[in-house]
Amino acid sequence: MENNRQMSAQQLMQKVSEAAFYVTDLKLYLDTHPDDARALRMFGEASRNAKACFEAFEKRFYPLFATSADCDSDWEWLVGTWPSQKMA
Amino acid sequence: MFIFTKMTQIPVKINNKNPRLASYILSQYGGPDGELGASLRYLSQRFAQTEKSGIALLTDIGTEELGHLEMIGSIVTQLTKGEGAKSFDRYGVGDYYIDHANGVYPASAAGVPFSAAYLQSKADPIADIMEDMAAEQKARATYDNILRMCDDPDVTNIIRYLREREVVHFQRFGELLDMLQSKIK
Repeated sequence: MENNRQMSAQQLMQKVSEAAFYVTDLKLYLDTHPDDARALRMFGEASRNAKACFEAFEKRFYPLFATSADCDSDWEWLVGTWPSQKMA
Repeated sequence: MFIFTKMTQIPVKINNKNPRLASYILSQYGGPDGELGASLRYLSQRFAQTEKSGIALLTDIGTEELGHLEMIGSIVTQLTKGEGAKSFDRYGVGDYYIDHANGVYPASAAGVPFSAAYLQSKADPIADIMEDMAAEQKARATYDNILRMCDDPDVTNIIRYLREREVVHFQRFGELLDMLQSKIK
């Protein structure tokens, strides 16, 4: 994630969705292969990477989870592209 | 419980408008083999699963299908955003406009409202997983039909992705079925 300073919201969201997808797909695989040592290692790495991507995106752009929303002066949860909208 | 994340599994960014294509794609929102039926089917059936793998897989795939429902709703919204009554009529979907205008309503491409009769929940893990495998194939076949109708690359890329996920889900359900059947033996 070292180059995320230069990325647009759209570019960084691409990284976030790729990282989150990897977790989703490995999770389904592990549901039916719970003892696969290689998949377990891959999941650990994928999960750490996804968390880092979420944090990098939220730090630069807007909250993806309500628990990350800033509430010091206004309600930051409203900020950002909602799933019904097209990212600029 | 569920935690909402303000993103879709892959970004949905559709540049062209096409109310007719939107009305076809809407079938994967509330049609007989759509994502609403898929998510309700798996999230309901999981309560009767006995094996942890079964409970987990139905929960996780049911959750992913809810995310796909949201993506379909987003495609429909973006394909019709700003289009008025006349445009819907020109595209041959004036009847949809009369009842729902630019709203996303769970119905099939032919306008039949969503029905829970599209799914079952039998409290029989084998019967349920067999239904789920068939459901994934029917969803995949519906996405194939949409791809035959669609010439907008922004839409095609997302539909291909969703189609591929149905194939992966079919594979995982097949593995679960093998696991359940080997426990019976």
